Amino acid sequence: MPSTKLLILGALAIGAISVTSPATATAVPDSITLNQNGKLYQPFSFDHAQHILLIKECSDCHHHTTGTLVLDPNCARCHQNSSPTAVVSCKGCHSSTPFSPETLAEKRAHKERFHQDKMGLKGAMHENCIGCHKKMGTGPAGCQDCHPRNAKGDAFYSADRKGAKPAHAKEH
Amino acid sequence: MKRRNFLKACLIGGTTVALGKTNKGWASGSFEGYPEAMGVLVDTTRCVGCRSCEAACNKEQSLPEPDTSFDDKSVFEEPRRPTAKAYTVVNEYEKKSPGGPVYRKMQCNHCNEPACLTSCFVNAYTKTKEGAVIYNSKVCVGCRNCMIACPFNVPGYDYDSVTNPVIKKCILCYDTRLKVGKPPACVEICPQEALTFGHRADLIKLAHERIRANPDRYYDHVYGEKEVGGTSWLYLSRTEFDKIGFDTTLNNEPIISNVKDFLGMVPMVLSIWPALFSGIHLLSKHDTQQEHGHDTESTQEDR
Amino acid sequence: MKKMIQHGLAVVDSPYTESGEKRSVMNKLLLGLTPSQYLLQAFRNPFNWILAAIFAVGLPILIGRFFFGLSWATSGSCDYPWGLFLGFGLFAMVPLSSSGFQLGTACEIFGRHDLEPIERLALLNGLLGYFFAVVYLLVDLGQPWRLPYPMVVSFGPAAVLFLVAWHVATYLSVQVLEVSTSFFEWIGFPAGKQAVRRITLGLTVSGIILSTLHQGALGALFTYAPGKVHPLWYSSSFQWLHFFVSSLPGGLCMVITVSTIAAKTMTWRRDGRFQQSLDRITISLAKGACMGLATYITIKLIAIAHDNKWSYIDSGWGQWFLLEIILGFMLPLVLMTYGVHTRKMPVVRMGAFMTVFGVVLNRVNTAIITFNWKLPEREIPPWREVVISLTIFAIYIVVYRFILYRLPILYKWKMQEEVVPATEAVRAPAPGRRETNQVPVASYSGMTKLD
Repeated sequence: MPSTKLLILGALAIGAISVTSPATATAVPDSITLNQNGKLYQPFSFDHAQHILLIKECSDCHHHTTGTLVLDPNCARCHQNSSPTAVVSCKGCHSSTPFSPETLAEKRAHKERFHQDKMGLKGAMHENCIGCHKKMGTGPAGCQDCHPRNAKGDAFYSADRKGAKPAHAKEH
Repeated sequence: MKRRNFLKACLIGGTTVALGKTNKGWASGSFEGYPEAMGVLVDTTRCVGCRSCEAACNKEQSLPEPDTSFDDKSVFEEPRRPTAKAYTVVNEYEKKSPGGPVYRKMQCNHCNEPACLTSCFVNAYTKTKEGAVIYNSKVCVGCRNCMIACPFNVPGYDYDSVTNPVIKKCILCYDTRLKVGKPPACVEICPQEALTFGHRADLIKLAHERIRANPDRYYDHVYGEKEVGGTSWLYLSRTEFDKIGFDTTLNNEPIISNVKDFLGMVPMVLSIWPALFSGIHLLSKHDTQQEHGHDTESTQEDR
Repeated sequence: MKKMIQHGLAVVDSPYTESGEKRSVMNKLLLGLTPSQYLLQAFRNPFNWILAAIFAVGLPILIGRFFFGLSWATSGSCDYPWGLFLGFGLFAMVPLSSSGFQLGTACEIFGRHDLEPIERLALLNGLLGYFFAVVYLLVDLGQPWRLPYPMVVSFGPAAVLFLVAWHVATYLSVQVLEVSTSFFEWIGFPAGKQAVRRITLGLTVSGIILSTLHQGALGALFTYAPGKVHPLWYSSSFQWLHFFVSSLPGGLCMVITVSTIAAKTMTWRRDGRFQQSLDRITISLAKGACMGLATYITIKLIAIAHDNKWSYIDSGWGQWFLLEIILGFMLPLVLMTYGVHTRKMPVVRMGAFMTVFGVVLNRVNTAIITFNWKLPEREIPPWREVVISLTIFAIYIVVYRFILYRLPILYKWKMQEEVVPATEAVRAPAPGRRETNQVPVASYSGMTKLD
């Protein structure tokens, strides 16, 4: 697994995920535009239909929200009998601002909650996609394999700097 | 007149010690950190070595452009350390491990009882209630004792500057973000959420919970929970920590506790010595009253 | 100088010339020579040529450090923030300067007036060592103009360095006062001398306190870096004691070293009192140094046993450690003990040289060579750093010599009342000598070597 392929995945805000077909509760979109509000990376189209064909099992990505009920005994303690939720999209549960003062205050206020350690939206999506792509040995795993960088992103990563020696390595 | 000066010196020394005890009483005891202190939990098992945190830090802190772009993975060939030009660096370890390489982000760990702070003779460092260890460059003399003292080799010095060289290190984005409750730039950009920002006390629980829930994924230790009195940055690892560049020989006592033997001796010397040596002088003077001349008048020269 | 005296030149050792006139400051500064004579003797001295060569290279680089910054002059390493300037300049110069307070204590507190002929040299050695340690520090500090900050602007009283700063600053002024008596004699200001004399006891006692504390504090500075200093050079409980105790023989042996060099190279300057008592005093100093060395070696070994660090001896670092402690401390102890018992002065002096070497090596080892022993790479100071360190040391030697040539350190200043009749007495045999004194400058050209 060449590390050079693991290109940068950071998009500042993947706040909005829109669904190309009119989003009704039951409609399954064929394609989803991700990273719509990305500051450093361009938006890109996610082929939902292809993933449905390949994976078949919705809950692999959507946890207990849709598809087969969970089998993990730990999850099953709560989610075995809960019916599929109305919320299916990632952002419904995974906050796009996981570390904002409000989110942190809310977490503190509900210490009894089991999912204290729920990932933020960006982390969840990257972990989900790249984690699976790496496990399966197929699919893009580098940043720009999914979302090409925009001009602002190039500046942010100082893409034009091509020093002979590694950056900051062995100062003086 | 100079005897008064001497007394003054004693007095200053004495108050010095007294001040040391009152002002920074916490520095010599078991300070557990401010209750509301924030921190960051680094889950090295999630890091993919994208170096986005380095880029974000560089822009947030207006650091000089890097020699080579933040996409350049050749920097992993040699381990790096934080410097005045890069407050955070990611290093690659376990390059040949079957589980793939492990990446570890390095920056100031923001100790609960920072060695840099206690070693600074102009008190340039402050541990804020938010947990950040910040630094006042306006009073820095440039002795670089903090660099000697830091157990994590973090502070960098701006050696290139002629007129205003100062210490440069991660300040947890205190001025621009932490103060208003926002997470540091590196945390915000991390695509993998390898960095989790939150209250330090909560993060410790969270870290142990991760270990408990995934015992195969984590080595059972939270680095930074206890090391040198605890740090605001905490780390989880797949392997033993010394394999990914951590110093596992550090004690759980803060660095200042090593210095206490000496600091405790200071008031003793300040109070006993004058009495002791003046006394001895009086005794010897009594014996040789006749001969208590001084150097040039001494009658001893032919002895 | 030696030759000039052979040719009948009188040494400046009183406020009056041989003819009974009061010497001007300029006359004293020029050692009683005319400007051309003075220059001539300076040019004649080959050592001056070596110094000139060092200064020719070193001074521009020293000045350059303040124009091009530390990264130009030093390694500018973040892992080794303290290079040669502090590792050698500060940490090695200060222990070698503990002589001032020791001899001060011996003479003023313990009433050892037999050591007085060397007390002033010891005080001067202390003053200059400290002064130049501060000079090294100023070169090393990033912003030297802020040196007074810990005194006036911002206080970090929990820091060991804060104690060091205050104590070195206070002690430096104490030492200036202690040495000022010689200066007041030389310049002819007895009131000043009397004033300082009155507070000698206070000065001496404060000297002991300040020395104890900051000699120890320099060691305690390294207790901030428990993981970086090699275990054989580190001990949380003993570090300050190691530094303090080793500074005692270090200072005494430095005085033996300097007095030996001065006695060899400045025969014209020392007076009979100094000359006759030197061997006796050297023995006394060596005895003291032996006690210090024995104590130091003991507590060093106790510290190793205390933390059970014996296994480190069996490594490259361990052998380096053995070299330091055997060559720098144990062997000198044996040599000096043997020398003292058999009254073999060269052996005693050899031991003293080696102790000085040992103390310097110990400090450089702690601060640079074995520092960061866990890091894979060692820091080798770049040439500019070495040159600057050498240059400052050369300035130290020049200043040291300048003062020894002039102030009554190695000789006794003849006071007014002693001198006036003395000049009469000296006059009688003098005329012949003074004639040679009139010889034109050119006639000195036959001489090959001046001191």
